[in-house]
Amino acid sequence: MIDLLFFGRLGDLAAEVDRSVTCVDGRATPLAIREWLATEHQSLAKELSEPQVLVSVNKMIVKWDQPLFDGDELAFLPPVTGG
Amino acid sequence: MTDLVCVQTDDFDLAGEYRRLRDLSSRVGAVVTFCGLVRDFESSSSEIDPDAPINNLTLQHYPGMTEALLAEIIEQAKTRWSLYGVTVIHRIGTLAPNDQIVFVGVATEHRKQAFDAAQFLMDYLKTQATLWKKVTAKGKEQWLDAKGSDDDAAAEWGESRND
Repeated sequence: MIDLLFFGRLGDLAAEVDRSVTCVDGRATPLAIREWLATEHQSLAKELSEPQVLVSVNKMIVKWDQPLFDGDELAFLPPVTGG
Repeated sequence: MTDLVCVQTDDFDLAGEYRRLRDLSSRVGAVVTFCGLVRDFESSSSEIDPDAPINNLTLQHYPGMTEALLAEIIEQAKTRWSLYGVTVIHRIGTLAPNDQIVFVGVATEHRKQAFDAAQFLMDYLKTQATLWKKVTAKGKEQWLDAKGSDDDAAAEWGESRND
C-alpha cells in the first residue's frame, strides 16, 4: 500500500480520494498516480499538474518519475505559504 | 543544544527566546530576532475583499517534514555564517489578527552576520517550509496563494532546493 497525502487546497479537492492505493513495487510513480487520479478527479488532477506542485516520498522531495514501493508515503505539496 | 526548531500550536515568549540565544556563549556579541504577526487583512487574496477583516488564519503543515526542512535551512545558514545558535519557531492551528506566528532568532559574534542570517532563514522558511495558510473572512475560507516576491527574495541568496 502507498499512502497518499494532499496539503493545502489540494486537500479540499481530494476530499473524496481514497488515501491508500495498492501498486506493484517499483512500477508506480507519482506521475502515474496523478494520471490515475485524473480518471475520476479531474479538478484535482488539473491542480496537481500545475508546475509549482511538488511531490515528496517519505518526506523527501522527489521527481515525478520516482519509483514507488510498498509502504511509501506520497505527498502532493502545493506552493508553500508559511512565515 | 544550540539550535531549536519548534512547530507548535502554543504561543512563544520573545524575552525567553532572546535570553536562550544570549546565554549560549559569552562570545555572543549580537542577537537578531524576528517575530512575524498575523495581519488583519491579506492583500494577496483575490476572492476575499482585501479590506474585509480576517476572522482568523489557519496554519497547516506536514508533520515531520516541516521540522526536517527547517533544520536543513539552519544547516544551510551555518555554511554561510558563523552562528552560535539559531531558533526557529512556527505556530500552526488557528490564529487571530495580531497573534505571533513565526519567530527566527540568531546569535553570532557580529551584527552583520546576525542580520543576514536571520533574513536568509526567513526568506528560505517562506519558500521551502511545508506550511500552508488558510484565511477565514466574512464566513468564507480561502487558501492563500504563494507570492512571487517571496521566491525572488529567496532566489537572491543563490542556490535553491527546487532547482
